[in-house]
Amino acid sequence: MQANDGAAPSSLWPEGVRSSVALAFDVDGPTGNAMLDGSIWRNPSFFTLGAYGPWRAVGYLLDLLEEYRIPATFFVPTWVLENWPAQIRAIVERGHEIGYHGHQHEAFWQLTRERQQEVMAMSLALFRKHLGLTPAGFRTPSGDWGADTIEILLDAGVRYSSSMRGDDRPYFIDHAASGRSLVEIPGRWELDDYASLAYQRNPDYPAGLDRIASYDATFDNWRREFDGSHRDGLCMTTLFHPKVSGKPGRILLLERLCRHMRSRDGVWFARCGEVAQWWRERHAGARVVA
Amino acid sequence: MKTPERSHWPDGKRMAFVVTVDFFDAAGILAQEPRMAGREKSLSVWQYGARRGVDRLLDVLDEFKLHASWFVPGSVALEHRAMVRRIHGAGHEIGNASFGCENFDALSLAQQRDSLLSAQAALADVTGEAPVGFRSPFGNWAPGFTQQLRAAGIQWSSSWRGDDLPYLHPSSGEAAQALVEVPLHYELEDEPYFTFNLYPPVPVGQPRIASYREVLGNWQQDFAGFHRLGLCLPLRLHPEIIGTAGRIDLLREFLSHVLSHDDVWVATGRELAAWWSSRHTGNEPGHPVDVFSPLHEASVAP
Repeated sequence: MQANDGAAPSSLWPEGVRSSVALAFDVDGPTGNAMLDGSIWRNPSFFTLGAYGPWRAVGYLLDLLEEYRIPATFFVPTWVLENWPAQIRAIVERGHEIGYHGHQHEAFWQLTRERQQEVMAMSLALFRKHLGLTPAGFRTPSGDWGADTIEILLDAGVRYSSSMRGDDRPYFIDHAASGRSLVEIPGRWELDDYASLAYQRNPDYPAGLDRIASYDATFDNWRREFDGSHRDGLCMTTLFHPKVSGKPGRILLLERLCRHMRSRDGVWFARCGEVAQWWRERHAGARVVA
Repeated sequence: MKTPERSHWPDGKRMAFVVTVDFFDAAGILAQEPRMAGREKSLSVWQYGARRGVDRLLDVLDEFKLHASWFVPGSVALEHRAMVRRIHGAGHEIGNASFGCENFDALSLAQQRDSLLSAQAALADVTGEAPVGFRSPFGNWAPGFTQQLRAAGIQWSSSWRGDDLPYLHPSSGEAAQALVEVPLHYELEDEPYFTFNLYPPVPVGQPRIASYREVLGNWQQDFAGFHRLGLCLPLRLHPEIIGTAGRIDLLREFLSHVLSHDDVWVATGRELAAWWSSRHTGNEPGHPVDVFSPLHEASVAP
């Protein structure tokens, strides 16, 4: 796979836009391995730690995004949707996009084709039931997928993914056998709040129980990531988690970042779906084959 | 950001602030890291609390006229009777932290009950008063244990997470007595930032000790967030960690910052729980504890 590059900054985006920012949040809540193996039902501290995200932090984030008039994308495992439908419905009602993120945050790369299809079908049914919508985007839980996943996503009607890490602007992933393609909007670990702020015990994260980073230093890192992306005219997305960076003290960190980004001209604040649509319409010539 | 529409707290105060202290002595680290047994040098890191940290912490709390909620395992109270009496005599609340600082994940429900009740008896013997607060040292307990807490006269716990306001554990059976949870946040604990031992390694990955200045910065920012949103901020301290000569000023500076706001309600856990249970009979619909509890009750032991 090779990335498309070489374009001058201004040529990637609509007239007057220098760079795009597609803020994205993974509303994992308590889903993930401990739920998939059932151990979470004997681990109240860990369940409640995760549940804080959809229960409280999503609301704080929606207020923040409204204040700075920034549209965003929320990738939501549908177990979270089933248990906190009002909180997830508020995301849609306040103008943001919802994307697929598994049902209980399944690791797609470890699932059979049939199981991946089942998860996508179950998720779609729940999005239709609770929200009356069909998501266009998918972020693979845990970030890895199988050799058959692209075809499964395309068959499920998915138009774009935000799963990979290997570029700083969107690109196409073609499914050669059927002539169809996904737009990929890659994220970066530098812009994943797990790399700086997440902390939990039993199961331990980070595995070696490294310290929670300084909020000031974390803001400085993220601010520099934005500045570089904007200078070079790229697309910056994030892997933020409400339960991590939507906590009361860290909302202030995100607020500083939003204020900083808003102070720059020529930033296109967009939902991932809008970035993907633009890319498909304007850059369809620059293809790579998966 | 929206400011709170109404106060959750007495006298229209904007937020609640509670200082909790885990006085676990060597019992805590021995339960967490069994390889500590017999390692005198390493154990002395945790014994520093009884040696120096408790007194230093008591002095600072006195300086700020602040009453904290101290969680003490029964075995630690029996070993440090005079010290625990002194903490209690200074007006602080003494809560139950199990008998031997056990990790409840390794105990059956019956063993958890025995640990709870033995600690109630030991603490009542030492202080003359049965605790009404409880902390599971490692955060968890088995299905059915909330009934045991109520039966033992426990009115509040600070063990679980999931909210930035207190909440109520669902009532079960005929036990109608309220059991309030004051939920924790790792970023408001001293231990994740500072605990250290070379070998056996604590934390397991041997990360560097965090920058004191930057931790103070984080705590001040956390406080600003909790204050703005009108929430309940529980600090969780350890005398052997925060009560060192070099780190105690970090606490002093933080308390001084918090208490410079006249709209902060400073309470013990017991006062907080009494206030909350007098105003609430349940939680908002969809609360994590209400989602979790039926699944917890239905779960099978691993």
